[in-house]
Amino acid sequence: MNFYVRRISFYLVTLWAAISLNFLLPRLLPGDPAAVMLGKLRRANGGRPLSEETIKTITSILGAEKGTSLWDQYLAYWGRLLQGDLGVSSTRYPAEVSDLIAAALPWTVILVGVATVLSFALGLIAGAWVGWRRGTWLDHLVPATTFLQSIPYFWLALVLVAVLSVQLGLLPIFGGYDVFEFPAGPEWSWAFVASAIEHAILPAATIVISSVGGWLLGMRNMMVQTMSEDYVVTAEAKGLTPSRIRTRYAGRNAAIPSLAGFGIALGFVVAGSIVTEQVFSYPGIGKLMIQAVQGLDYALMQGVFLVITLTVLAANFVMELIYGFIDPRVRTRG
Amino acid sequence: MQRPRTRVIAMIAAGTTALALSLTACSPSSDDGADRPLRVWSGSMTPINNDFNPFHVDTATHLTFGAIYEPLFFFNQLSADPPVGLVGDSYTYSDDGTELTITIKPDQKWSDGKPLTAKDVAFTFGYGSNVDPDMTSIEATDDTTVVITYSTPKFTAASLILGSTWIVPEHIWSGIDDFMSETNQQPVGSGPYKLKSFTDAAYTVEANPLFRDGAPAVTEVQDIGIDSNQSSEDLLKTGKIDWVGQFIANPDNVTSSGRIATMNQQQDPTVIVTCADEAMGCVGPQVDPAVRQAINVAIDRSTIREKAFAGLAGESSPAFALLPRDEKWVSDASLATSPQSPDAAAASEILEAAGYTKDSDGFYGKDGKTIELDLFSPDGWTDYNDAAKLISEHAADAGIRINARTVSEAEYWTPIANGDFQLAMYGITQSLVPDPFSNYDQYFTTLASAKVGEEPTKGQNYSRYSNPIVDEAVKAAGATQDETIKKDAYASIQAEISRDLPYIPVVLNASQSFFNVADFTGWPSESDLYAAPLPYLSTASAIVLTHLKPAK
Repeated sequence: MNFYVRRISFYLVTLWAAISLNFLLPRLLPGDPAAVMLGKLRRANGGRPLSEETIKTITSILGAEKGTSLWDQYLAYWGRLLQGDLGVSSTRYPAEVSDLIAAALPWTVILVGVATVLSFALGLIAGAWVGWRRGTWLDHLVPATTFLQSIPYFWLALVLVAVLSVQLGLLPIFGGYDVFEFPAGPEWSWAFVASAIEHAILPAATIVISSVGGWLLGMRNMMVQTMSEDYVVTAEAKGLTPSRIRTRYAGRNAAIPSLAGFGIALGFVVAGSIVTEQVFSYPGIGKLMIQAVQGLDYALMQGVFLVITLTVLAANFVMELIYGFIDPRVRTRG
Repeated sequence: MQRPRTRVIAMIAAGTTALALSLTACSPSSDDGADRPLRVWSGSMTPINNDFNPFHVDTATHLTFGAIYEPLFFFNQLSADPPVGLVGDSYTYSDDGTELTITIKPDQKWSDGKPLTAKDVAFTFGYGSNVDPDMTSIEATDDTTVVITYSTPKFTAASLILGSTWIVPEHIWSGIDDFMSETNQQPVGSGPYKLKSFTDAAYTVEANPLFRDGAPAVTEVQDIGIDSNQSSEDLLKTGKIDWVGQFIANPDNVTSSGRIATMNQQQDPTVIVTCADEAMGCVGPQVDPAVRQAINVAIDRSTIREKAFAGLAGESSPAFALLPRDEKWVSDASLATSPQSPDAAAASEILEAAGYTKDSDGFYGKDGKTIELDLFSPDGWTDYNDAAKLISEHAADAGIRINARTVSEAEYWTPIANGDFQLAMYGITQSLVPDPFSNYDQYFTTLASAKVGEEPTKGQNYSRYSNPIVDEAVKAAGATQDETIKKDAYASIQAEISRDLPYIPVVLNASQSFFNVADFTGWPSESDLYAAPLPYLSTASAIVLTHLKPAK
């Protein structure tokens, strides 16, 4: 029990530190969001002087914290956070940050989540196979996939779009679903789900192609190592079938380190894949993040970072608990 | 898990565009024009904000401005013709310019069926951010007439008052107290379209049957959120969208099929803004007009136009007037265009006359201190970045050291607003009416500026330029409708600013538009520029929409 108490208190401290950092980091960026927004309004207004009333409204929402001490801001930040109030976005004024995140989160979790699981599963299975048949032509899969991984993602995505979508017209070019077929937005119908899946194929494929190499390489190396273990030799000596040795003996043990990496990768799913979402105009979190940073939208930035931090921590926590359960050594030395 | 750095992305994007272009293949879908919506990308990115509040000039959906809510008149920035009446029918100023009488068209209706009268117009001008502190009274004298009085002459504010104040229905907005946090998701306007459906990926407007000229021929318009220029170009090529206004380096690839036509407008000046006035607190070698004059003759504008602006940009005018539109306002023909080829000898002459000498490295300096200027532009605005690099090279050829660097967008606006800079690449918004007054008033007067450390609140004179002759002349021009007085005033302004160069003109920036001529007819053309065909412009885009007809 002591192990769990120690882990939980450690995570509480980490959580506090992460949330505090989340408060501090945007404030270290140059510029003042209220000034940025007022400047934009002034340019957009084409020279009309902004009324006092407008300036007051904007500064009270975006810049109220100016002039108060950092400590007071920090307390106010916690107060709002505990009420679930993430504030108002300045780039998408007056939309609530929590609404923006709630709308983007499902798209990201499904697209990047499925792509991550697929990439992991593919990498693991292929890696086990390549490791098992080491020394054969299958070894070429390793440099081939790592080469794919080394191609800059942006380039890969644009080439695939240019060939598959523009030239061959097989797959859609952009979006999370067909906005031309469904002008009224998402609905619960098979046609819509089919459209959403069709639109996810290309972004998901690019994520898988550019990440499967890492899983494959790791799994293959572990597999090679595990196969020289005594218990594998014993299993072979006992006369077990090769497929049983491959999956039950070598494969299972070789997969353990990859599982740890997978836990962390799952945590990062929520961060989305910034470039994917940008290239495909996919309605996810990563894009919100980049827009927030570019537009100096503190509230949105903090909201997005908070959600990402929380999920990464939670994923780590769960993985650690599972680890402690699987492997007693972790518990006693933890 | 692959996270390439953004720098890499920018470089690769350029390369990929080249590749994508070489792979071009057009397989336009053959939707027939009649029954489908016209699809436009007005520049919005996803998620689109569900906001139709016309007071949110920066964050509301694009079609709010012109298609749903309308101003009184449409000022066509491409022509010298008088403004076109929308809600309004005619307007007259009193002789001293302090009283404005507006007549609106009779029998108009809001999209909810209620009548639109002069009362709504009077309400609009007294509501929210429309309130002008100079306004002393406003009255709807009958159903179609509104009289507004001001404490100062308002001749030059016509395009602002009449052309970009969005008329809202009193019966709805009188119940809205907080106009800044309102999102107005069921807008009731007077324009040709009304909202049909909204999602954060795209929204659709449909023809308003109560529109005063009758419902427009294009019955539905869908405005789509797209996050990258490449996607929009691909959609255009494959016939999925009909109208965009964006930069495409090689337009032939898109237009070769004959379905898509393109136009290129050159209007907004791209300049080097300098922190010009020492008395206002500016620091650096650029406060000396001789240095600015030397840079002005040292840069090779034709190369900049070719290399940084893909040959699409126009020639800038040191008089800050848009030619040929503003021809009658330019006093001196030599002020029509800035020098297009570099003249290092002239630059040397200017600097040497001002007491600068070349050091051993060949760079000019004074009192043992070499001129070293800092020029920045927002990272990713590639035309600006490239222009800055070229300017730095050309200046070096003339013995002036300019260091070009890029900064993030946030880091770009803050120093410019506070005056904490030497040189920056900058875009000036061209006057919307055939009269360069707003350029002078907004960018060159002391009133439109602020001391370094403070932000200008009554204009956008970020150069901190302060010249009593210009201030006086702007004041004189603003208080009259007499063309001779105005011309005299403009002549003295133009002489001052083309000599002092607080903004060094570089090019006239290009705005490309692409539109589907196969399925829709009635687009603006070179011979009939009734409005700029740029979908991101407010009002102008709605004017174009009402002129369009499905081809079949």
